[in-house]
Amino acid sequence: MTDMAASPSPVHLRPGVVTAVVLAIFALLFLAGIGFGSTWIPLETVAQVLLGGGEKTSRLVVLQLRLPRVAAAAIAGGAIAFAGYLLQRITRNELASPGVLGVVDGAALGVVLFMAIFSNDTNSLVVSVAWQPLAAALGAIAAVSLVFILSGRQASSAIRLLLFGIAVAAACKALTTIFMLVGPVYQAAQAARWLAGAVNTINATEIQLMLAVLIPTGIVAAIAARHLPPADLDDTSSRSIGLNLPLYRVFIFFLAALLTAGAVAFAGGVSFIGLMAPHLARLLVGRARLAGILTSILLGAIILIGADLLIRVAFAPLEVPAGTVTAVIGAPYFLYLLMRKDNTNG
Amino acid sequence: MDDMLASRIEVKNLTLSYGQDVILDALSLPIPSGRITVLAGPNGCGKSTLLRAIRRLHAPQSGQVLLDALDISRLTGKELGRRIGLLAQSPTAPQDMSVEELVRLGRYPHQAMLQPWSPRDDAAVAAAMAGTGVEPLRHRRIGSLSGGQLQRAWIAMVLAQETDIICLDEPVNHLDMAHQLECLELVSRLNKDQGRTIVLVLHDLNLAARYADQLVFVSGGKIRDSGPVEAMMRSELIAEVFNIGARIITDPVHQRPMCIPFRRQ
Repeated sequence: MTDMAASPSPVHLRPGVVTAVVLAIFALLFLAGIGFGSTWIPLETVAQVLLGGGEKTSRLVVLQLRLPRVAAAAIAGGAIAFAGYLLQRITRNELASPGVLGVVDGAALGVVLFMAIFSNDTNSLVVSVAWQPLAAALGAIAAVSLVFILSGRQASSAIRLLLFGIAVAAACKALTTIFMLVGPVYQAAQAARWLAGAVNTINATEIQLMLAVLIPTGIVAAIAARHLPPADLDDTSSRSIGLNLPLYRVFIFFLAALLTAGAVAFAGGVSFIGLMAPHLARLLVGRARLAGILTSILLGAIILIGADLLIRVAFAPLEVPAGTVTAVIGAPYFLYLLMRKDNTNG
Repeated sequence: MDDMLASRIEVKNLTLSYGQDVILDALSLPIPSGRITVLAGPNGCGKSTLLRAIRRLHAPQSGQVLLDALDISRLTGKELGRRIGLLAQSPTAPQDMSVEELVRLGRYPHQAMLQPWSPRDDAAVAAAMAGTGVEPLRHRRIGSLSGGQLQRAWIAMVLAQETDIICLDEPVNHLDMAHQLECLELVSRLNKDQGRTIVLVLHDLNLAARYADQLVFVSGGKIRDSGPVEAMMRSELIAEVFNIGARIITDPVHQRPMCIPFRRQ
């Protein structure tokens, strides 16, 4: 329609090469994220420890103290980016993301409600924290279902879906604020930090829980992604070649909600990664599906590790939530996408 | 002559509705195989809905569409995708999708998880692109094509499905006269050279009369009449279906019946 849509993609590189370069950057940043701290640990020592070697003290510092934070950032960033990739592709709209469609705020509401309901007078949880991702997932799925119910028959219209998503996200945010205000002060502070998105307090058990949710969901999503190319067509055309697009779309939304919830349950509301990472990946590798998914995941991980690292370098000893940095980069990016003439790829 | 051909698709007592509103009531229509059937009628008469129902894109309120005497509601989506192709009225694909990528999607109903892309799929895609003349455009992006090129690319996608039956919903809408002819000549060749059964929705009655074997007039929720073109191009029938005055002459170029419409006094 517009010149922009008709011009070839700005970068002409083989998708495989791009993905390999992004993978290398990810690996370096991952090691640097672990190496950086009160004392610098050389990257080769970090690599040595991660491969099972190294001396006792560096093993302790790397594995017990530094790794969980960086690993959590990588996992959460990657999962949200994957969810964003799925949403942008299935809605054929580059503005779609877990944040815009209410998934992140729904998950946040789930977690805040969970904290409010299952805390005792001394502000400690009366049930295992292992239930927190379930609360986030329920919140995320409830929000996304609400978006679907509200848009009804118009759910296949990407614009309607986005409008209802934004409305539901706003409602969830308002409810979250109300529950924080009526809850105990300590709990509100805890929730506020979590909402802003922080990976610094995550421990190994929580990472295991994240992986327990995200690995199976990720595998199912990777298999389901096989049908994304026919889903690029309009409803009638995709159905006439044998894909039940309305049903498939709901399934993809459900998977994206689960991926987001699994990440957000512990990492908090790290915003805009689900918008930026898949969009950048599309600019880099174009329509290639496998390379697009891998590049999105790696870029999501890179952005969150990078944001967390930046905080430690720039604001130490203050612990600013990583979500603040992603929002500071992401919000202008979102505006840029909004202001572009051609903001859909359909 | 038409009666001697076995109908592979047959519409039987089909009632179609949108919610409470019945669009088409208890229709029965055999569709001759290896022929071009055109559905015609005034706007909103339900001809597109009928076409969609033939490909099970619109669920009937009652009645059946039979494909080789089997109710199509018993087939899976992919089975139907291998038997009946359909080109939607205004199909859309991402602007940066390449023509070849679009045509390859026509092979989707032939694919399965443990059945990767095969030489047969390549052959079908190559044949579809050659047959529609989009071979030279294979690396072009959808967004960079002209209206006529785009329509040929979509027809190639439907051809790659290798279905015996092809439905096209107003395929010449939004095309200029040259591209309308190009598109219908292509459809006609698919029928004459490859024996495919074609079901078309067309607005232009004269184009319909030129290319159709069988003409079906739909109006007022019913099939008003159907049969060979020569028998259907009657002024009083057309006057009644379209609510206009009509005079039928013989097209001096193609020797086919042609309708001159005029306002009724």
